[in-house]
Amino acid sequence: MTTSVVGKRIPKVDSKDKSLGTAEYAGDIRMKGMLYGKIIRSLDYAHAKVKSIDFKEAQTMPGVVKCLAPKDVTKNGYNTTIMKLLVPEAFNEVFGEISEMYIFNTHIKHQGDSVCGIIAETEEQAERAAAKVKIVYEPLPVYLTAEESRQPDAVQFTPSKPGNLASEFDPGFFPDKAYGWPDAETDKWGDDLESECDVVVEDNFYLNKVKQCQMENNCAVALYDNRGRLTCWSSTQMPKPVQVLLAELFELPLSRMRYVTTIVGGAFGARLGMVCEPHACAMAMAVQGRPVKVEMTREEDWIASETRFPGDYKMKMGFKKDGTPVFVDAHFTGYKGAYYTHGGGPIFCAAAFVHGMYKWQTMRMKGDSYFTNTAPVGAFRGYGNPQTSFVQEQLVDVACEKLGLDSVEWRKKWHKTIGDETWLKGVTYASDDLNSCIDIAAKEFKWYQKKKKYATQKGPKRRGIGMAIMNHTSGAWPMLLEHTVSTVKLNEDCTVEIMQSVSDLGTGGHTAIQQMAADTLGWPMEDIHLTTGDSDVNGFDVGAHASRTVYCGGPATMEACESVKKQLMERAAQLLEARVEDLEMDSKKIISVKGSSKKSIDAREIAKQGVYNFFDAATGKQIGIPGQIQGYSSYLANHCSPPMGATFSEVEVDVETGQVKLVELVNAHDIGKAIHPPSVEGQLEGGAQQGLGQVLCEDMIYDKEGHCLNADFTDYKMLGPTDMPKAKIILVETAPDPIGPMGAKSCGESALMGPIGSVANAIADAIGIRFTEAPITPERILRGIKESGKTFA
Amino acid sequence: MSKHPITLTINGQEYNLYVADHHTLLQVMRDQLDLTEVKYGCGRGECGACSVLVDDEKEASGRKAIDSCLALAVTMDGKKITTSRGLGENGQLNTVQQAFVEESGIQCGFCTPGMVVKATSLLEKNPNATEEEIRFGLEGNICRCTGYVKIVDSIKKAQKVINKK
Repeated sequence: MTTSVVGKRIPKVDSKDKSLGTAEYAGDIRMKGMLYGKIIRSLDYAHAKVKSIDFKEAQTMPGVVKCLAPKDVTKNGYNTTIMKLLVPEAFNEVFGEISEMYIFNTHIKHQGDSVCGIIAETEEQAERAAAKVKIVYEPLPVYLTAEESRQPDAVQFTPSKPGNLASEFDPGFFPDKAYGWPDAETDKWGDDLESECDVVVEDNFYLNKVKQCQMENNCAVALYDNRGRLTCWSSTQMPKPVQVLLAELFELPLSRMRYVTTIVGGAFGARLGMVCEPHACAMAMAVQGRPVKVEMTREEDWIASETRFPGDYKMKMGFKKDGTPVFVDAHFTGYKGAYYTHGGGPIFCAAAFVHGMYKWQTMRMKGDSYFTNTAPVGAFRGYGNPQTSFVQEQLVDVACEKLGLDSVEWRKKWHKTIGDETWLKGVTYASDDLNSCIDIAAKEFKWYQKKKKYATQKGPKRRGIGMAIMNHTSGAWPMLLEHTVSTVKLNEDCTVEIMQSVSDLGTGGHTAIQQMAADTLGWPMEDIHLTTGDSDVNGFDVGAHASRTVYCGGPATMEACESVKKQLMERAAQLLEARVEDLEMDSKKIISVKGSSKKSIDAREIAKQGVYNFFDAATGKQIGIPGQIQGYSSYLANHCSPPMGATFSEVEVDVETGQVKLVELVNAHDIGKAIHPPSVEGQLEGGAQQGLGQVLCEDMIYDKEGHCLNADFTDYKMLGPTDMPKAKIILVETAPDPIGPMGAKSCGESALMGPIGSVANAIADAIGIRFTEAPITPERILRGIKESGKTFA
Repeated sequence: MSKHPITLTINGQEYNLYVADHHTLLQVMRDQLDLTEVKYGCGRGECGACSVLVDDEKEASGRKAIDSCLALAVTMDGKKITTSRGLGENGQLNTVQQAFVEESGIQCGFCTPGMVVKATSLLEKNPNATEEEIRFGLEGNICRCTGYVKIVDSIKKAQKVINKK
């Protein structure tokens, strides 16, 4: 019998390295002759034209090697986002992006936009010289909201987007520029539909600008070597797409563009594309033969890399009096930030996850966004879904209250299930055990006991409980390309080397992939090694986004390992003069005819003879079968097996201070099969910290000039170890997915949504006031209490 | 700027150095000595990724953990310092690190070197720390991956092992 490692709580493959600190992140790279690049950013102006750049004094500073103005680097535009590579070319602009970013800019669109660069012998010399560069700006009006930048006389951000309308649902794909499912002829909206409903609820919400706050700052090292080949090292989520974008930007064939990922110090979407890689590469090309390192400071990371999509989100829902959901009608107007990064992607997904949750008879959701002079928006764990949780899960509770229905029971009855369409039209759920999640979590949380207990409370501290459910995705098929290549080389000692691009953002992806390989081969973990992150070695892979590593990457690993095993068995069959189907291999790698231990061969012999293949001097016959065995898979996903989950939260609101204390959180997740349970739990526990922060305290604050006022860990409050509630994560494995590898569905992004909706609901439960603006800060709570006129004796 | 001669003993090894008066201990360790296990997360004492133990600054029974980004290198002359790489013997893991490995208290790993240093200090000073005290003790060390759940579990596990010895 083989010993399975899948589902076991084994230590992660990289944890010793990480606990010692020997794991190498991009910032830890040291190279012979390495120079340092400093990006000079517009710190005083969020919207301006650069009139002149004067390097006169800077270039005389000690250690300065080169000063680079916009004219000294490629004139090609780019977009940090990789989405265009994941959709057919015709859809590039709809789902993808336009190339309106430049390495150094003359039209400054946000605080932190890059203006020019300095290369010097040391980082400090580069910084000191940077301080001597004289830049003259012509200030332009600053627009912080969609309402401001959409005005007819507003300065245009980019010629291809008139009216600063960055994105809206393309009518070519979305009739009436809306995501929904009824056809135009039978569809009824507005008064017609409302009049059929017994209860209609609606509200306008505001969603905050949240930062990923990965602990490792962005850093890229690049070398343009003397053979004319460019190499870039950084810690990205998306190694292969970044290689392709850099090659395009610098007009190099892929054979002359190498990209290497280091260990990734957290990402959460912040590295779903390029960050400072274009700058490091441009600088390296200016000093051929010497590596250049560009490391962003924490403040730069804050103001110059992408954030979650903030904006105005309104939603209306209609119901029959028995609770039948009739319609949902929503509109999300996003504040796009400075560039067309990630296009309308997160807004589309906000709509998509509305589509995937409840059995509405009809749905319509519109979405648009307008440029603003704030940090660009991009990907952040959940990708539109956290915004939807805040809005949708609150309105469902409001409706249930009006209907006089139990909101838990309503959700159990009306959430989508097997056979219903998922977040994406035309793709149906293949598995679902959300109701078990709800039941198990409710019991663990003691929902109904607490409901009774907190019905009558007195005094200034009020307890409240709330719950929310969520749906997400495993990979993004068929909206986006889902392709992973895995090559598994059988070493001559019968161990394997997996060559596959997998960015492990801390998720445990490297461990899970090797566990899946070990179980597929039936061999121990020690016999498996993963070579990853180098475009010279690894085949194509989309990257680590959309909760896809196990779901889309795992099957590639498994297929390639199966191929290795099959080839071994075929050779064994030939050597043993038996049929493949009659053979079995044990954990000691002995292949034998079933039921006959005498007729057997050691797989190690086969592997060895494949490489060291000789002739028997006595007989003149070839010993064994020649050729090193290699397995290969070029795997394209064919589903997105959405996971669902239920979260219950308890809070205590101090009505005198507005403080919210998080008391308890229970999150049950329909994982299907947990490949590495501690990693799955870790995703759900850590995601909760981010979701709870989004609903309670995290928000980038700008003054009216567009300066970010809280670009640091002190003023941008994240929840710390004493702020976090008692948390219980429950992995529900009662419904293995029939499509997912080994039954697995995803968990990477799922954890944020439930905490957001459930805490918003718990606050409303505690004090009887709804909050429509996120985050629900003490200030907002006190204002809400004051405006309501409520007293809490 | 001027340079000063100082002596630092880091992980048992003595370094005689010339350091600029404005350079922090973090800068000297990372840039002059290539001790890259000490991480730069914020450079202003907010995140704790650069935590190191100062062996000779004992508080009660345990060594003190400091943010190396907030200490000017010249002020550390003559000090004995331990980083995550020197916590265990011969480059191996100490009990706290071992518990982090076993309990999956590590995700991206960037905060981990600082986290294990802080946790080691915490348990030295207060071997019987309650969960509340452990959490309070970690307030200066930010982790964005774990929600602190498995970090606290790891420290509690290490505590059990240490107290059994």
